[in-house]
Amino acid sequence: LALEEASRMTDQAAVVTSVKAAEKFFSEDKDRSFEAKMMDESARLLTIQQQLEKDSDGKVKFFGQSVSETVHICLVNGMGKRADKVKAEFKVPDKRFWYIKLHALTAIRDFVSLEAF
Amino acid sequence: GLGRDNEQSLDIEVLKDAAKKALINALNSVNGAKTLVLDPTLAGPLGLVTEVALLKHHGVDKMFWLEPGPLTSTTTNVIYLCRPLIKYVKIIADQIKIHSKESLKHRYTLFLVPRTSTLVSRILEEEGVLGDVTVSSYNLQFIPVAEDVISLEYDNAFKELWVDGDETVIYNSALALDVLQKTYGQFPRIIGKGDYASKLATLLTRPLPEQPSVSVDPLTSPAPFDSLIILDRHVDMITPLLTQLTYEGLIDELIGIKNSHVEIPLSLLNPPSAPNPENPGASLPSTSAIITPVLNEKTKKHVLSAATDPLFAELRDLNFSSVGKRLSRVAHRLDEDYKARLQAKTVAQLRDFVGKLGGLQTEHQALKLHTGLSEMLVPRTRTNLFSKSLEIQQNLVASYETSAQISAIEDMIAQGADMQTVARLLCLASITTGGIKTRALENVKKEFLQAYGYHLLPLLLSLSAPPLSIILQNPPPVSMSPSVAVNKLPFTAIRKSLRLLIDDNPEALEELENDISYVYSGYAPISVRLVQCVAQKSGVISNPAEKVSVDTPDGKGKGSASKKLFAHPIVGWKGFEDILSTIPGQTFDIVQKAPAATASRAPSISSLLRPHEQTTTTAIFFLGGCTYTEIAALRWVGRQNRGRKFLIATTGIVSGASLMKSIANDGKRGPGKRDTTI
Repeated sequence: LALEEASRMTDQAAVVTSVKAAEKFFSEDKDRSFEAKMMDESARLLTIQQQLEKDSDGKVKFFGQSVSETVHICLVNGMGKRADKVKAEFKVPDKRFWYIKLHALTAIRDFVSLEAF
Repeated sequence: GLGRDNEQSLDIEVLKDAAKKALINALNSVNGAKTLVLDPTLAGPLGLVTEVALLKHHGVDKMFWLEPGPLTSTTTNVIYLCRPLIKYVKIIADQIKIHSKESLKHRYTLFLVPRTSTLVSRILEEEGVLGDVTVSSYNLQFIPVAEDVISLEYDNAFKELWVDGDETVIYNSALALDVLQKTYGQFPRIIGKGDYASKLATLLTRPLPEQPSVSVDPLTSPAPFDSLIILDRHVDMITPLLTQLTYEGLIDELIGIKNSHVEIPLSLLNPPSAPNPENPGASLPSTSAIITPVLNEKTKKHVLSAATDPLFAELRDLNFSSVGKRLSRVAHRLDEDYKARLQAKTVAQLRDFVGKLGGLQTEHQALKLHTGLSEMLVPRTRTNLFSKSLEIQQNLVASYETSAQISAIEDMIAQGADMQTVARLLCLASITTGGIKTRALENVKKEFLQAYGYHLLPLLLSLSAPPLSIILQNPPPVSMSPSVAVNKLPFTAIRKSLRLLIDDNPEALEELENDISYVYSGYAPISVRLVQCVAQKSGVISNPAEKVSVDTPDGKGKGSASKKLFAHPIVGWKGFEDILSTIPGQTFDIVQKAPAATASRAPSISSLLRPHEQTTTTAIFFLGGCTYTEIAALRWVGRQNRGRKFLIATTGIVSGASLMKSIANDGKRGPGKRDTTI
């Protein structure tokens, strides 16, 4: 169970590896299928975040943020399409997505989009 | 003040003096100027017993935090003061090794709080520096944090016991309670509830190592102990999960109180520039509806203490809904007092007024502080999320539409409520319903992790795993050990038998405060009801204040003292055994034999005399922490009878948020570094 605590490392690749290790560890116990699934999501999120950072030329930090925060950062940085993609990938319910969008648009004072909401 | 009768209570200041003296002795044991390296978690507790000037006076030249990295010391003597944690000892060893590499000569002394451990010596030996260090201990135990509350100020007790399974704190608590016995006299009876509480009681009845104790002659002690009630936090997990609604509790929830200190904007602390007798009411919350939140303003730590601030003593235990009213009453009285100046005609009257002016200004300052604090609290209690979370809590404790509450919690996640609030609500939902439906639970857990980060999975696991088991699924998985099922709290039955939920009638609630349930606006903490089962049996069954509520409008008037019933003697759980047996955790009631040396003396004699007019003290120890709200409720119970005082002792003061935080932080330390101290 303590395996995933290894995920507190500075090196991104090492983090992904240790999260995957935790996933494997959980998948060995049939009562832990939920945890295994979550670790799988976590690893996928980290990979997506690495890609997002690359796409934004490393200007925007994504790595290690939660799903909600990732969506938020995408929106704040005008990466609306990416936000939608993350939403679909992690099956973020509409309700939460709209709240995040509302907060994000308010944060960047994008009143035009807010009107269109 | 506070309608408290003139019965004397135990002098707990001696504990503080003892802690101070022990610290000075520790410092003086090292001759000459010294550099003090301090464990950051000890700074708060130490601040309650001493001040920096005193340290300087005893040769402390410079102070540093105990942190990784090299240490620059200008003095030969280096004193380390820390809890016996492995990570600290490793840092110390590293610093010493760096010094010896640079061939710097220092003399090192390590004081461990509250006691030394062989593990520490072994690590120092492994690191090859044991020879360079003098290892000793500084026995910091109970610190008075209020006139009737003493605390070990140990933040992690709950997490260590119920998440890590580290029982060191039980042993340390036993030592500390033993010092209390040696100081004020033996606990004739130890009553309690909970598995860890029971372990503690067993330890206490065994011979413990000799410790330096404060010598107060138990014979002269004004209110000897009649019993010790030990409750462990797991017996009542619901209470800390609820949002505290008393003034002090709410400050802790929304602003945060650490080691009796609260961080508040500097402007609230400056003395009033000029007393403005024309218009002191202008600062009342009711008249200033629009409050610009004070952000980025410099803050300062302020000690909240009833001893120096009588207004705070008046306010701290009130339900927040009545604080505004009380403040305005004080403001009006102050206004009147200032106006007296205008009526002062003769020189004598003027002189009289000037004499009172100092007191008035202090009062004015206190009023400003608490009005300001209330103004900080009010907007936060008006937010949508705050009221939503209260609503969910109230529905859950009333078992009203429980499955709808889960989706309400999901809504809160969507709206960006903070992590601790949501985690608390989830636990509460699970405890009060006996487990959350598997599908719903997985959904909400997924939402939780997506919103706050996958790194919180260990938190969820800790909360679901025994011995904590406060997030459970229903039906339980087949593999679940039957012991967990046994540990389930039959909440609805207890709610009835202990009368936890009082139909709230808002008008009655404000003025009467006729039951401890006022602290949560209609819900009575299980923990305090259990204390009442021992110390105020009638209070469990009906509202004791209803009978005396006629005498004064605010329920704590001068006349009520004479009508108060004399406290009944301690007879254990009698009358409530059946209810107790339905609550998980061991129930115990141990009668201690007086030690042979003093057997024939005071305790037995006073216990013979006891039924008449001898005031006694019931000590209540919370293993794993207690909340300000529980303290408020216990004070309320204490006021209902004559002849019994409560002394509240705890490992620390907690709130639901601080518990969640301490468990969530678990993962941040990295693998294999479980800090055990045995």
